[in-house]
Amino acid sequence: MKNTNEAFNKRAKASFDETVEKLDAATLSRLNRARHAALAEMQQPSRQWSRWLPATGVAAAALVAVMVMQNPAGFDEPLPAAVADLEILLGEDSLEMLEDLEFYSWLDVVEQENDVG
Amino acid sequence: MDVGSAVFAVSCNGTAATGTRELQKEQQLNRFLADVERRALRIAEIGVRDRDEALDLVQDAMIKLARHYSARSEEEWTPLFYRILQNGVRDWHRKQVVRNRVMSFFGRRASDDNDYDAVAAAPDLAGRAPDEELQNREAMQVLEIAVHNLPARQREAFMLRTFEGLDVKGTATAMGCSQGSVKTHYSRAVHALREQLEEHRPDDEKH
Repeated sequence: MKNTNEAFNKRAKASFDETVEKLDAATLSRLNRARHAALAEMQQPSRQWSRWLPATGVAAAALVAVMVMQNPAGFDEPLPAAVADLEILLGEDSLEMLEDLEFYSWLDVVEQENDVG
Repeated sequence: MDVGSAVFAVSCNGTAATGTRELQKEQQLNRFLADVERRALRIAEIGVRDRDEALDLVQDAMIKLARHYSARSEEEWTPLFYRILQNGVRDWHRKQVVRNRVMSFFGRRASDDNDYDAVAAAPDLAGRAPDEELQNREAMQVLEIAVHNLPARQREAFMLRTFEGLDVKGTATAMGCSQGSVKTHYSRAVHALREQLEEHRPDDEKH
């Protein structure tokens, strides 16, 4: 029985290998492109921060829940500044905004100077 | 050489060494993927019965391996790569089930994958006679359909062990199960396939 299974496996493997060898040029070209796309991925900077995004979202939701429970009557009022800031920070554009922090602080200074002037 | 220059030189050497290591790792991964990609494509293709879908799945698996596991040792890559690929194939089947439900809800018939012939368009590179070529093609087509129709875990065990040549331990890692389960799935797969393909078996294998 074992020998029969081995013979069967050998035959199956040979048939499989034959189809592997017969792959057409267009398919091989697509595989080549896929491989290079994967290798390019190795050169990308680490995206470790993205792992923390779901956890940050859960933490923000918990914070809002605690605030609502502590002051349910005041929930109709405008959101406190801290929560509004958190919402901005968790927004899709927040990282770009953080990168441009220097620009925003400069803008703030210019606006203050204009107000004084 | 002053202290500043010495620190700069050491820093440059360190950066160059890191760059060399990264380049070596990239070359290793390139060799690994080039070696495995065609078999992986055919394994995925037997799993989903569609070459374009299989190509997408292989590309996703390559990218995920490069992104998350390129720092691992080369020996770990094969089971990790196939684990990612098998997960992709399973997800694809789940989505197909949902898609077919939606299609049947709107009264449309899902495509019959038994019409699919992966090798029909390929020329015979071995230069054999048309009769012999046709026989081999038919045999592989029958085998492919039989393997595709196996239960998912049996199909995975059979393809990883027989087509990719992974050992029991590597197959267990790739499938995310125990070595005992691999042996069971594999044994059942071989038994089922041999029964189904009885009429296509050469006389010297019949008992």
